[in-house]
Parts: sequence; C-alpha cells; structure tokens
Amino acid sequence: MDDFEKELALALERRPAPPSLKRGVMQRRGLRSIERRRSTWLVWQRAAAGLLVAVMLGGAAEWRMRKVEQQRQGEEARRQVMTALRITGHALGEVNAQLNRNRGGE
Amino acid sequence: MAHDWQPDFEPLVDQHQSMVFSLALRMTGDRGLAEEIAQDVFLELDRNLGRIETPDHACYWLRRVTISRSSDALRRRRVRGMDLWVDLGEAHGAQREERSSPLGARLEHLLTTLPEAQRAALVLRYQEDLLPEEIAAVMDAPLATVKSNLQRGLKLLRAKAAHHLREFVRFDLNEGA
Repeated sequence: MDDFEKELALALERRPAPPSLKRGVMQRRGLRSIERRRSTWLVWQRAAAGLLVAVMLGGAAEWRMRKVEQQRQGEEARRQVMTALRITGHALGEVNAQLNRNRGGE
Repeated sequence: MAHDWQPDFEPLVDQHQSMVFSLALRMTGDRGLAEEIAQDVFLELDRNLGRIETPDHACYWLRRVTISRSSDALRRRRVRGMDLWVDLGEAHGAQREERSSPLGARLEHLLTTLPEAQRAALVLRYQEDLLPEEIAAVMDAPLATVKSNLQRGLKLLRAKAAHHLREFVRFDLNEGA
C-alpha cells in the first residue's frame, strides 16, 4: 500500500452506526412478529370459519338427502298401499261378483 | 445441510451494524437512506437466519446483501432523477467533517463521485480490507473485472485528488499510477 492508499484506508474506516439503527431494526422486527402472529391468527380464524361453513353445508346437504329419501320412502309406501288397496279392491270385487252369481243361481 | 452454529439475531446486529451502515453510507452517500438500507438488510438477515452457517458466512452474507441493496437504492433514485451526492455534500457533510480528518472527509467525498462498480470495489478493499478474490465473491463478479475496477477507481481517485486536494497533499499522487 502506498501513502495514498493508506490515507484512503484511514478515510474509509468504519463509522459507528447511529443508535436509531438497532432501535429501528428491533422495533420493526417486533412489529413484524406481531404482524405474523396476527396473520397466523387470521388464517386460523378463516380456516375455522371455512370449516364451520363446510359443516353447515354438509349438514344441510345431509338433511336434504334424508328428506328426499324420506319422501321417496313415503312415495314408495303410498304406492305399495295403493297397490294393496287396488289388489284388495280387485279381490273384493271378485268376491262380490261371486256372491252375486251365487245369489242369482239360488 | 445441517450446521451446528445457532446464530442469535441481536448480537449479530451489535457486531455488524457499523460495517453494514458504513458500507451503505459509502455506497449511497445518504445517512438516512443508509440507515434504512441497513435496517432492511438486518430484517432480511432475520428472515434468513436459518440458512446462515458460520459467523464468517454471516459477515459475507451481510456485505453481499448490503452492496446489492445499496445498488438497488441507487438505481431507484436514478430512475426518480435524484442526485444523492448533492444530498451527501449538503446535508451530511458537516457530520462527516466532525468525525474524520479534513483530508479523509474530502477523499471520502471524492470517492462518492466514482462510478458505482469502482466505488463498491474500493469501499470493500479499503473499508473492509478484502482481497480482490473476496470482493469478486461479494459482488458476484469476475475477478478480472474487480481488479480492473480497483485499478481504474484508484487511478481516477488519484487524478481527482491531484486536482481537488492540492492543499492537503502530502503523498505522491503519481504513486502506483
């Protein structure tokens, strides 16, 4: 190193950082940590809300399916009753016709 | 890759704040901006703390990121058409004069008039006492480019010093030219 370079090295010695630098870093770091916690909490809140909505939608869908199934079973039962009534009606008609024929024969 | 060293953030700030601040100050010439850059660099370090393997790695990482963030800041300022060095001379000159010799302060100011790559190379060489190979690693530049920047920067600085610092000159400005 010649004299000029030595003088340059002296001129370029490290400067002490202002106290506000570290204070600012620690402050911003703290804020970021709060922000991170808040955003984590927000994510959990949103997840919980999403889960609640999903459960409600699932419950509603389940309720609807049960209702449809009950309706279907009711329709089926009604259809069976109607068939039974029709068969019974038909049988009674047969019996009645038979009775009428027997009375006519007497 | 697993590493044994578990860095603590606050001691790292204590240890390196002067280095980071001085690098940013000499790259940008603006104390306010330098402090802002230094804060950003340390917060970035905090985010990347898990990847820092050794104390030397931390130092290397800080130098590299500080130079890079300072260049980004200078680029942004250029885009906005602001001249940082006017700011340095007018707003912060007095503070600089307080802390170093008049010749040192003038030399430091002349340094700020050099092209950015030459300034970065000279600051890393004479502030951080790095070898050209280490500067090349920090700046992610070929060794030949760094050597050329060092030579040209030093030559330009000598020429400027010969022109502007006649009243202080006690060294041979043609030395090493």
